[in-house]
Order: sequence, then structure tokens, then C-alpha cells
Amino acid sequence: MKTHKLFESKSHTWLMFGRDDDKPNEIIDTNQYIVITHKNALLMDPGGIELFSSMLAAVIKQLPADKITHLFASHQDPDIISSLGLWDQALPSATLHSPWIWESFIKHFGMNNISYSAIPDEGSALKIDQVNLEFIPAHYLHSSGNFNVYDAEAKILMSGDIGAALESVEAPLFVENFDEHISKMKMFHQRWMPSNEAKNDWVSRVRKLDIDMMCPQHGRIFKGDDVKRFLDWFEALEVGVIRKPSAE
Amino acid sequence: MSELSTNYFVCVAEIAAKLDQATRIAQQLSLTASNARAVALRAGERAAGFRPLTDFIDRLAEITIKSSRSINLLAATLSQTSADKVRADSAIEHFNIVFIKAKDSPFIDSLDEVYQRCQTKQRQLDKSYKRQIDRLSDELIMLSNELRNAVILATLSRVEASQAGIEYQEALINVANNVEGAASKIKEHINYSQQMVSTLEEY
Repeated sequence: MKTHKLFESKSHTWLMFGRDDDKPNEIIDTNQYIVITHKNALLMDPGGIELFSSMLAAVIKQLPADKITHLFASHQDPDIISSLGLWDQALPSATLHSPWIWESFIKHFGMNNISYSAIPDEGSALKIDQVNLEFIPAHYLHSSGNFNVYDAEAKILMSGDIGAALESVEAPLFVENFDEHISKMKMFHQRWMPSNEAKNDWVSRVRKLDIDMMCPQHGRIFKGDDVKRFLDWFEALEVGVIRKPSAE
Repeated sequence: MSELSTNYFVCVAEIAAKLDQATRIAQQLSLTASNARAVALRAGERAAGFRPLTDFIDRLAEITIKSSRSINLLAATLSQTSADKVRADSAIEHFNIVFIKAKDSPFIDSLDEVYQRCQTKQRQLDKSYKRQIDRLSDELIMLSNELRNAVILATLSRVEASQAGIEYQEALINVANNVEGAASKIKEHINYSQQMVSTLEEY
């Protein structure tokens, strides 16, 4: 599991974990993110059960386990949070922030110790030490209850499945050529995202945010102008369609 | 009879299923006792010796139903303990990998407390698991012993049936056969469950 520092300031640090060489071939590669503040940390979309050992080993190299006081699951999918039963053993005092609609579903992964903080549909804010984070609604993109995490100071948007691309563990961390990258994410967005209305609403809200980096849960991170390129491309894309691979 | 399973979740579920079948047979046995009582009543004095036997058949059915239910409850508890045990075992395995992968981390000690807690839980679950298996085994032995009486009951029923006169003899012998057949089937399910318990004891 590789670790990459995305942002560092006096108040906090953003790290990305991913490109796990040890992961079984059959499971999709995922990106995990953590915000480390002075005394606490928020681990975002901590990943599937298959990834837990690699993930915890990577995290423990950066900070003590008990510093992770907050978890975030953008939605209920297994690649996002099926490791919950094990985090529940590792971080019994932590709080999991996740969409209210998935509370009783996510608990099926095993949650006897961690507390669930239900995020309302309109989103909410989370202050960890001196760092302000926002849970931005991204419903139906793809899950019907879904949030991104925005950090105005770092200008980072953790966008979950939005901007995701299906790639191998050898793929670079950042998008290098946006036009070439389209082919790696087009089918994913058309097939996984069900609603043009929800998509366009999200694009119009996200355009108002100041973003230097857009960090999806799969594939590469968008930096600088590529963020705007992505928003333009995504706005024009028709989603909720099934196309045969030959039509791509 | 299907091949013995080696997966302990399946073992526990199969024990519950076998005991459920035993309960159904015991319910039929209870019906047999009611029929026998009616026939014995019609046969009058000639079947006077048969009547107390119907009470014994009833008692046998009642004990089997009660015991099967209790074993079913135990199997359900055992199933939950098994699931918790798998989870605890899995957590320990995952933590062991973390200790290898992150052995040089300056923060690796921060997992010690969590690891010890998991180990304590694992030991508690192991104890509970063994205790529940023992109870399950004891219950099955008790039920099996009760069913030995069924053979005696069937023999006595045949003796009493032979004195009830030709008119009722066939019906009462039929009762004896039903008791023997039901007991034999229930015994078969219990034997299978006992083999399953032996498999569970190995875990």
C-alpha cells in the first residue's frame, strides 16, 4: 500500500493511501484518504475487508491508531466500508460519519463499539481540532445516499465515486492527460451514475467551491485545471445509460 | 443421510434442522398416542392394559418435543457464538499481519491494547463455545436415553395388543409399530447430530 502526502499546513495534513500491490487481483483498487489534525484524524472510505491489514499497517506508520477518532463512509458499498467490523475492534471509541439512510444497512458489517453519526440529506459540517470540513451532498452519484468531503483550507474535495476510473495498481496517482483519461472513466460514470438531474445539481454546487484537488475513491486525482475539465466533461455527459462495450 | 459437513456454521445449522425434523416426528407420535387411546377405549376391558401405555407414548412425545426445542435454542446460541468467534479470530489474524507489515512503525505499540482486548475476547468466546458444545452434547445424550424406552414401550404395546381381541389387535399393533418407527427415525437424527457435535468439538 502506497502513501502519498497531498497537503500539509500548520493545522493539518491530507494523506492518500492506495495502489496496494498485495491486494487480491479480483477486487477493485481503491484510494483511501486521511486528514490528520493535531490530536485527531478522520479516515475516509477506509475500504473493504480484504484491504484492512494493508490499510491499518499503512496508517500505523503515520500515526498512532487511537488518534483516528473519526471515520467517514461516503456510502454503503463493500469497497467503501466492509472493513467496518475490523475497524470496530481497532478503534472502539471512534465515530463513523455516514449518510443517515444507510445507518441500519452499514451496521450489517459489524459495529458494536463505534458510534454512528448520521449525516442529514442536506449535508453537515465537522470540526476536528481547528480544521473545518464539510460533508457535501452527492446523492445518486452513485449511491442514493452519498456525500463528498470538502476542505476549504486545503482546497481538496474527496469526491468518492465521482471522477473514479477503473485502473490497475500501476496507474499514476494524478491525471496527466485529461483527454486520454476520459476513456478510463466514461463507462463507469454512465453505468454507475443513475441521474442526470442529480449530476447537474452536483456540478453546479461544486463549481462554486474553490478546489485545487479532486480526489476520487478509484483511479487518479484531478489537479488544477483538470478539476474544471472534469466538471465540464461530467456536465455534458449523459449518465444512467447502458452501452455495449463496442459502442464505447 | 447426507455426508457430514466439515464447516462448523453448517454443522450447527444442520443440528438445528435435524432436531426440527425430530420435533415433527414427535408431534406425529403425540397423534399416535391420541389414536391409541381412542382404540383402547373402544376395545374396553380387553385393552385395559394398553391404556396406561398411551400415557407413556404421550410422555415420550412430550419429552422429545421439549428437548428438541431446547437443543434448537442451544444450536441458535452456538451459531451466534460461532459467528462472534470467527470475527474475533479474523481480527486477531488481521492484527498479526499488521504487526508484521508495520513492525518498524514508531506507532506500532498503539495497537497493543486493542490486540490484548481482542485476545481476551477470543479466549472468552472459546470458553463459551466449548461450554455450549458440552451442553448440546449432554442434551442429546439425555434425549437419546429417553428414546431407549420407546423400544420397551413398543414391545409392551405388542403384548397388550395381542390380548385386545382380533377386532382391535391390528390397530393396536399398528400403534406399536408407529412408536417404534418414530423412535427409530428420531434416534437416527440424534445420532447424526451427535456426530456433528463431535465435529464441532474438534474446532
